Amino acid sequence: MRALDDVSLGLAAGERLALVGENGAGKSTLMNVLYGLYRPDAGTLSVDGAPVVFRSPRDAIARGIGMVHQHFMLVPTLTVAENVVLGAEPTARGLLLDVQAAEAAVEALCARFGFQLDPRARLGELGVGARQKVEIVKALHRGARALVLDEPTAVLTPDEADELFAVARRLADAGTAVVLVSHKLKEVLAFCERVAVMRRGRKVAELKAAGTTPEVLAAHVMGEPPPPPPPFQPATPGAPLLQLSGVCADGPQGRPALKGVSLRLCAGEVVGIAGVDGNGQRELAEVVTGLRPLTAGTLEVRGKPLTAGTPAAFRTAGVGHVPEDRHRHAMVGSFSVEENLSLGRHRVPPFARGPWIDSAGRHAAAVLEMERWDVRPRDASLPMQVLSGGNQQKVVMARELSLDPAVLVAVQPTRGLDIGAVAAVRAQLRAHAARGHAVLLVSLDLEEVLALSDRAYVLYGGRTVAELPRAQFDERRMGRLMLGTEVDRG
Amino acid sequence: MLELLEALLASTLDYAPALVFAALGATLSERAGVVSLHVEGLMRTGAFVAAVAALSLPTPLAVCVGMAAAAAVAGVHALLSLRLRADQVISGMALNLVALSLFSFLLEARFSPTGTPPIAQLSRHGLPALEGVPLLRALNGHTALTWLALALPFALSFLLYRTAWGLRVRAVGEAPAAVATLGVSVAGLRAACVVGGGLLAGLGGAVLSTSTLDRFEQHMPAGLGFMALAAMVFGRWSPLGAFGAAVFFAAGNALRVGLASSAPGVLAVVPQGVLMALPYALTLGVLAVQGGRGQAPAALGQPYDPEHR
Amino acid sequence: MADGRLARALPSLLAVTAALGACFVALAAALGDAGLAAEAFGQMALGGFGDVPRWLSTGDAAAVLRPLGESAGKASVLLLAGLSVAVAFQVGLFNIGAQGQLLWGGLAAAVVGAAVQLPPALHLPVCLLAAAAAGAAWALLPTALKLRRGVHEVISTIMLNWVAVALVENWLVVGPLQGPAGAGTAEVHPSAVMPRLLGESSRLNLGLPLSLAAAAAVAAWLLRTTHGLETRAVGRGQEAARAAGLPVEGRTWTAMAVAGALAGLAGAVLVLGSELRYPGRLAAPYGFDGIAMALIGGNHPLGVAASSLLFGALRAGGTRMQLLGVHRGFPELIQGLALLFVAARLGWAWLLLRRKETPRA
Repeated sequence: MRALDDVSLGLAAGERLALVGENGAGKSTLMNVLYGLYRPDAGTLSVDGAPVVFRSPRDAIARGIGMVHQHFMLVPTLTVAENVVLGAEPTARGLLLDVQAAEAAVEALCARFGFQLDPRARLGELGVGARQKVEIVKALHRGARALVLDEPTAVLTPDEADELFAVARRLADAGTAVVLVSHKLKEVLAFCERVAVMRRGRKVAELKAAGTTPEVLAAHVMGEPPPPPPPFQPATPGAPLLQLSGVCADGPQGRPALKGVSLRLCAGEVVGIAGVDGNGQRELAEVVTGLRPLTAGTLEVRGKPLTAGTPAAFRTAGVGHVPEDRHRHAMVGSFSVEENLSLGRHRVPPFARGPWIDSAGRHAAAVLEMERWDVRPRDASLPMQVLSGGNQQKVVMARELSLDPAVLVAVQPTRGLDIGAVAAVRAQLRAHAARGHAVLLVSLDLEEVLALSDRAYVLYGGRTVAELPRAQFDERRMGRLMLGTEVDRG
Repeated sequence: MLELLEALLASTLDYAPALVFAALGATLSERAGVVSLHVEGLMRTGAFVAAVAALSLPTPLAVCVGMAAAAAVAGVHALLSLRLRADQVISGMALNLVALSLFSFLLEARFSPTGTPPIAQLSRHGLPALEGVPLLRALNGHTALTWLALALPFALSFLLYRTAWGLRVRAVGEAPAAVATLGVSVAGLRAACVVGGGLLAGLGGAVLSTSTLDRFEQHMPAGLGFMALAAMVFGRWSPLGAFGAAVFFAAGNALRVGLASSAPGVLAVVPQGVLMALPYALTLGVLAVQGGRGQAPAALGQPYDPEHR
Repeated sequence: MADGRLARALPSLLAVTAALGACFVALAAALGDAGLAAEAFGQMALGGFGDVPRWLSTGDAAAVLRPLGESAGKASVLLLAGLSVAVAFQVGLFNIGAQGQLLWGGLAAAVVGAAVQLPPALHLPVCLLAAAAAGAAWALLPTALKLRRGVHEVISTIMLNWVAVALVENWLVVGPLQGPAGAGTAEVHPSAVMPRLLGESSRLNLGLPLSLAAAAAVAAWLLRTTHGLETRAVGRGQEAARAAGLPVEGRTWTAMAVAGALAGLAGAVLVLGSELRYPGRLAAPYGFDGIAMALIGGNHPLGVAASSLLFGALRAGGTRMQLLGVHRGFPELIQGLALLFVAARLGWAWLLLRRKETPRA
């Protein structure tokens, strides 16, 4: 498949253009072509009306193109000024790095565009919002006349996002063309003048932002209206299986990520956790599977407290886990499919006989499960890593559900899967709850939470800020709760 | 007492240069993010080739030939680990084993099992003005390489921390993707540092066979390359730190050798072997206290793949 | 399945063949005579695998048995050291420290062999146990540093190798443990010596069956037991293993203890099989050779056995090359080059894999 197919796009000085589309629609590929990281098979690139060929980012930079990558391209051990000038260093007497000139350049750019940055600060000590400003200053220092912002608000708080757009607007007013790559349609319409829509490697629409509604834009992004979801069978909740109250936990850098999460899952229910990325979802999923210790609060599985548990203890207590990053957390890529299917239950029949692996029993069980889940190709001895993402996820789901866990924690279970696999995975989650178990669905995709859940909590700033039964599901209101712009009074 | 100190200092200055050069070479390569276990093999290459070249060339020129040979071996490491994406640790150990067996083979095939014939050592110099100064006169009577070993750490430190190129090297060892998006070649920068490190480590080896001794001996460098790695770790991957650690280790060695000849009673209390284990044990202690990888460059040992950032 | 195994062994076979070829060409060039080089390689084969023609023509079985005994002596040490490195690789750790563990194992075997009086049926097993325990203990140091303090095992095991050399060879065997005959420990009692299996015509001793049994045991453990499955999972996907509830740290401890024990046994085989005491310096750096054996053998216990048998034979045959004026270190050069080619092969495999993936992206 072509990542990009016959795409034409123009950009004028001082213009604010948006590039929208789903994951995999070709937005990033297009921008990487523009930045000289990929070379197009056909077609031309012109700057100021003259055709150019970018062999590396160096060529793109020389032509005034700057890019702020979604994952920051910064060196934590260097100072702000050093990061800014890296690769385009001011020198004194030939070789010498001119630190004063670098710091002065950063200060001048900050003064001009109203940033607050200390050029001498070590980058590793800065927060996410400040790091993004360093990225922008870095591009401006290279004389960027066109600035690409790739999913810039994915990691920002709403306030930081507002500040970013204010800065970007000032840049555009000063004549810099700004390209915003995003799938958040509301911010796109709020900030940009013109919107280009990508779908499956093609540019399918180009609209003026003024007068376009998010709904119209969404229709262009999706192509056809999404297929009607299967009829929803509401649950009759039974006994509570998982209960959290006042749970706190630290994030990866030791900073508090959960600051008071209280929730309850009952038998028969799918409970969704809605929230913008970076509000504690990852830590919550790790806490309820034993991968991350609590710093405060209580956690009970089927009425038994499990505060200082290991992953093994949580599994024994009946918690299954379909993690977000299956490559890292759910599968061993170089192991065969049957070995992966056995992990976690490899010590019991039919996978083992005493201390020995039961190869024949394991193989038979694996073949059976691969048939039930329609895993392809149906060869249990293949290394897991050669399977497609959808089939890998089916293997992981098959293993986790085979243990019949009372509580299944599923994090972004359909991310990156094709439409058929998405439907299969969703149906299995509902079916698992219908068998009298509970499913905790953690997803950044609000639509998925709304489609699957009997009940939902909104996670904001590491706290459960609202609890909503299905009858009160309201996309707009939940969106505001997720952004912290509305406080639940219910 | 003063004479003892002077003897100790002189002996340290004899022993330190090989360690200093090798530690600097390892530091340069590792700061760019490439693991340098092959330093031992590089030193062996430098020592052997310089000694053999000195049989037919003026010794200073032979030293350069030895450095070039070591740089070529380092080039193989760069090719394997940067271009073919071999595991850097494996590639380094493989080169050590090749250097060990290749030069044993060549030595015995061409010369004798124990060593090459003697060569003309590098000439030793001294400043007449220092002769009358107590303590400092120990600086006299060494080869130019000793003086170079005292100056080079500062030069490398200047290069790494004060020049634009050094900034890039430090950045590429920490966050290669960041460097690549600025249009700077990650592989080019790293290859330059690996080969540069090869030159330095080769010089360290050449010191052994042209200054410390007057021939290549079968066991050279007898683990000095690994001690240079210890000095690099001990010195927290900075040129001056590695220099300090190397001189500290060299002084410890000089003290140990000195004690053995002048005060054997001390060694009855603290055995030689325990003293010899100290540099390594100290390095382990430092690592254990610092925890983690200490101050190691963040991207050390990780191959950079431009398509999977 | 058989095809799969062949495909996995193929790169190593190619690397060994390429190394043999390269060394042949180099030798022919150095000698200026391809015929002489071929003769040298022939002598190496006769010296390693036995002089079969002479046996057939004269009926002298010793012509085969004696060389095989020498090969077996080298192969068994290589195999145990190689297994040590390969087992550590299973939990994702690079055991460069096999050399240090080997020294302690050899010392323990020598000390128990000389200082303790036991009936023969008991003495040798006790010596082997002591060697395994000593090697395992030394291997647990870097494991503790890794698990408790996060110190990278490559650096820590390198340091510990030199600590071991300094303590054992520059202190213990020339100090407190020195025997009556100068540097080195006292000679072990006959009851602790590895019995010879073929009488006086060959030095083939219990070491070879012992090391082959170790390889079979390691293979059975890793590939056939659930404990082994968990061990392999730790090395290949640590986070996934942790999330699946496997005792990641526990398996790391056991694997490293086994790795150390195997290296310790290698030292014991050297001491009780050929040296009969801990000499002033314990032979070649077999611990480092173990790295080569593990990698050339693809980290598979049976692959390690195959490469150890081959290189054991080549290295024993190297002595016979000396008849033609070729230094006996030549086979080690072949081994080094083979390792280099194996290391580069990882690169080729990666490049090929990537080429296949590109169209999908």
